[in-house]
Amino acid sequence: MRQFKNMAYPYMIWISIMIVVPMFMIFMYAFTKHGNDVATFWFTFDNFIRFFSDIIFINVLKQSLYIAVITTIICILLGYPVAYIIANSKEKNKVFLILLITLPTWINMLVRTYAWMGILQDNGILNNILSLFGLQTKLLHTDFAVILGMVYNFIPFMILQIHTSLTKMDKSLIEAASDLGADKIQCFLKIIFPLSLPGVISGITLVFLPAMSSFFIPKLLGGGQYVLIGNVIESQFLTAGNWNFGSAISLIIAVIIMISMYITKKIEVKNSTGKGGIIH
Amino acid sequence: MKHKKLLSLLTSIAMLFSFTACGKSNTSVAEDPIEKYGSDTLKLYNWGEYMGNTLISDFEKQFGVNVIVEYFDSNEMMYTKIQAGDAYDILVPSDYMIERLLANNALQPIDKEMIPNISNLAEGVKALPYDPDNTYSVPYFWGTVGIVYNKNNVDLEDLEQQGYAILKNTKYKGKLYMYDSERDSFMIALKSLGYSMNTDNEQEIEQAYQWLKELNDTMEPVYVTDEVIDGMMNGNKDLAVVYSGDAVTILNENEDMAFYLPKEGTNVWSDAMVIPANAENPKLANEFINYVLTYDASYSNSEAVGYTSSNKEVMDNISGEGGLYESNPAYLPRIGYDKDEVFKDNIVLKEKLSELWIKVKASQ
Repeated sequence: MRQFKNMAYPYMIWISIMIVVPMFMIFMYAFTKHGNDVATFWFTFDNFIRFFSDIIFINVLKQSLYIAVITTIICILLGYPVAYIIANSKEKNKVFLILLITLPTWINMLVRTYAWMGILQDNGILNNILSLFGLQTKLLHTDFAVILGMVYNFIPFMILQIHTSLTKMDKSLIEAASDLGADKIQCFLKIIFPLSLPGVISGITLVFLPAMSSFFIPKLLGGGQYVLIGNVIESQFLTAGNWNFGSAISLIIAVIIMISMYITKKIEVKNSTGKGGIIH
Repeated sequence: MKHKKLLSLLTSIAMLFSFTACGKSNTSVAEDPIEKYGSDTLKLYNWGEYMGNTLISDFEKQFGVNVIVEYFDSNEMMYTKIQAGDAYDILVPSDYMIERLLANNALQPIDKEMIPNISNLAEGVKALPYDPDNTYSVPYFWGTVGIVYNKNNVDLEDLEQQGYAILKNTKYKGKLYMYDSERDSFMIALKSLGYSMNTDNEQEIEQAYQWLKELNDTMEPVYVTDEVIDGMMNGNKDLAVVYSGDAVTILNENEDMAFYLPKEGTNVWSDAMVIPANAENPKLANEFINYVLTYDASYSNSEAVGYTSSNKEVMDNISGEGGLYESNPAYLPRIGYDKDEVFKDNIVLKEKLSELWIKVKASQ
């Protein structure tokens, strides 16, 4: 093994340039503000105080959390059955079904979201169909549109993660359970679901994170009046030109995400040990 | 400001094809561009959907050069990139942004010897306050900001009596597009209150903030940028704050729509071509500026995009008798009205308005 160790160096250099340095810069920006001519920047907590002392920003944060949680829950509820069906289908169908799931991601996310705008708008396709039944409603620029856009864009990540953990599973455990008299439902609840939890957890990570910080989905499908935390960050960087405040908000979100990841990890560990050692 | 990302994506793909095609025909050009300009590549950074379809390919053919085009969708986005050190030969920023670039010494003077066509400029874009002698900039398009309304559903009398305040008239609740930019929104609020749009008086700004907040809380507005064009063409809403050039396109496509410039005054804006200090090919950049000012290039630009040409003859012909936009009241900007203003750059104010604007939108 030792001779392979050196091969990790390029990778280490790569992460330090691409991940560590930018993170450090965000950190620096978040805790500083523009200084005068002598000292170019000063350390400060102002950016954080400014965020937490303003009820409007807190509300935006709450709304973003709400949307991200709802999106993640819907992704699990829809994604799990789909992943289950794919995992249990015939080998040659499996490849095709996986292709169908990943196919939309070949097209740029922005373009696909624009397409939804056309479908959902007041005179769009969906409303035209609904109007045949006399059901025309406002779809675009609502919570519904934003959540739909997020679920649509992020659900492939959930399905693929769950699918992987379902196929990796040791099938002999299921056979053993049925031999010992467990019916299908018991089998699913006691064996399959707990074993697929790691996939669900990493799916949650992959969905919750972008749903929390996405700015163009709410902007396009929610309209400019739909402000989530990602939009606040975007405006701080691009319009206001206040990188310090923008970085501070980014850091706050990063902390929130890290905490939620820590909690989900805890749940995972509890589940896999608490059930009396089904894993090995 | 006023452009569709999707379409600009498509045009940039088309552009890619167009210049690969041109690469082959270069050999037929008599003069070697490398000898004449030092390089045969021009890097242009412009708004999306802001050029006629053949502008670039015609220029490439005529001068035997390659043009690389990149697009931005806000002045701030462009500024951020320039600050980061990206080198372009030509930018097309708006008035206040040119002022900021000049203050940062980020521009170089144009070479008027190479731009004889500068004599074609329309009166409305001469002696603009940010660069009165055209030392650094040559106007590209210009216009105003006004209200597009549906003639069948909006009472013109309401508009004439209330001006911008019609945007707060609950009769039109839920029928309203606002422009999603702090500059334009605060301009409207300040003008409606009778103040200058360049004010830095805190009380006046606070009042304007309350004005916009009230609008947000009572009118169910939808804040959009480019989507306003499609939205109003399809008649989704009855009232919209729109740039004059976009209004031209909307009025052209939907005859129920009309354009109104409130008497409280508006923003007379202009976007101009400038050469950054770090440009790699300033000679060719000057040549391009001169080319854009020619009658044919300027005409096809203005025809395709709907914005008002900076070339006097083109502007007169398009808006005059028998012209393309003869009956389109949005095409010819209002000039010489004392309540109309040009934006001045004020970075402190800008930051403040930007924060207030996000608060307006987030309050519900």
